[in-house]
Amino acid sequence: MHRSLTIVLVLLSVAGLGGVSLVVWPIGEVTRLAERDGDAQRGAYLARAGGCIACHSDPSSGRPALTGGAPIKTSFGSFVAPNLTTDETFGIGGWSVEDFARAVRQGIGPDGAPYYPAFPYAFYGHLTDKDIIDLWAAFQSVPPQEVIGGDNDIVFPFNLRFGLKLWRAAFAKGPPTAPNPEQSDPWNRGRWLVNGLAHCGACHTDRNLAGGRRASQYLAGSDDLPGGGKAPPIRPEHLKEAGWTVTSLAYGLKSGVMPDGDTFGGGMGEVVRHSTAWLSEADRKAMATYLLNEVKTGGDG
Amino acid sequence: MTFRKLFWSGAALVVLSAMALAHSGATGVVKERMDAMKSMGDAIKRIKPMMSGEAAYNADVVRQAAQRIATEAGEAMTRKFPEGSTDHPSETLPRTWQEWERFTALADQLEVAAKGLDLAAGNKRHGDGHMMDGQSGMMGGGMMGDQSDMMGGGMMMGNGGFPQGMTAKQIGQMPADGAFMMLTQTCSACHDRYRKEDS
Repeated sequence: MHRSLTIVLVLLSVAGLGGVSLVVWPIGEVTRLAERDGDAQRGAYLARAGGCIACHSDPSSGRPALTGGAPIKTSFGSFVAPNLTTDETFGIGGWSVEDFARAVRQGIGPDGAPYYPAFPYAFYGHLTDKDIIDLWAAFQSVPPQEVIGGDNDIVFPFNLRFGLKLWRAAFAKGPPTAPNPEQSDPWNRGRWLVNGLAHCGACHTDRNLAGGRRASQYLAGSDDLPGGGKAPPIRPEHLKEAGWTVTSLAYGLKSGVMPDGDTFGGGMGEVVRHSTAWLSEADRKAMATYLLNEVKTGGDG
Repeated sequence: MTFRKLFWSGAALVVLSAMALAHSGATGVVKERMDAMKSMGDAIKRIKPMMSGEAAYNADVVRQAAQRIATEAGEAMTRKFPEGSTDHPSETLPRTWQEWERFTALADQLEVAAKGLDLAAGNKRHGDGHMMDGQSGMMGGGMMGDQSDMMGGGMMMGNGGFPQGMTAKQIGQMPADGAFMMLTQTCSACHDRYRKEDS
């Protein structure tokens, strides 16, 4: 009796220690940005490609753009993308460019708290200092708005943010974006967009119970999207079977039209309207080239 | 009404319902609207390659397609969605009736866009030979080089990136592929919100 009580106590204190160390476990790296002069035009383009505008705005709410998105309902709770205008209180007006860099690439807020992976920072880790500074310049051009879309409503125990440190350690790594010298420029550009900034895998790669992407299911589709939605598989063989070519897929990312004359639904329409339709033809073709794994430049098959 | 007329109309009904049943399992109004959606999809499919540059442009074919969609849009569409009509194999989400005004606004917007495309068909594509450079022209043109629009400054509060109050006549001034995109993105905006994905 005595002995088992001791064991329980020891176990409890070990768990407690673990918990405490989890709370104080430092995360993230200090960022110093070499470049300072941002190109707001280029940054705005990146913001479109990255879906910043799409997710942090809710046109149907009547609120101005970037004042916060529509709630994203998941089994962990409801997430609301916050206000990204330059308002000091409601937005990011009080941030430094280093705060911004750490938030976007590492998923850590200015107060040191880790973000929920509803914010796809794992896909933004590849952004260069120049990308970040350009994005920052674009966001600095947005007038302040004193309004928010709402608050996160996360269920226990996921509302305890320190648990996210474990999640980060296990899952906070995006798919590869570095150029492959054996592939064409469009293919590499496409990979940079698809695996990075445009974060296709955030929806099209299935997640495990902890909400981490399952690498083996890369772009193989998911039937467990927020709100009970489904994302189809978009690996080359699936896309080819569905009748897509580089030209038609690039055009689909602009118009929302599928090979059978149907148009996207399930949230993909929104991705097109607020993100991919704003990209250059060359970038949409690049995404299509990579997604279809078209090795020849300009190939269409 | 004579007994004979009654008998024959009754028989016709039975035959029609049987035919409806035979088609993909859908019946009644669910089948009606699925057929209407299919018909619009066929129209889109026909002219899409002309808009993307995969096929030669033919203004008459574009007009026909636009008119076909215009007749199926607006009230013609919404009346095929009586409340609670979600019988198998319907893909309509219950949210459709919870947000009936928003849904009907999209259906009306589709009609405006289709009529706009009808008028724009003669304008041909934007700069035939080379595709327009992304955002320009997409939502009425003239947005190139303005990063405040890129950042959502010009984000319309309507549905599906459709400038509120835009008329068919105004859309009719656009290049045909710009008008086409307003149309297809309206389809998509509605599918995003009110259609269950079966993929």
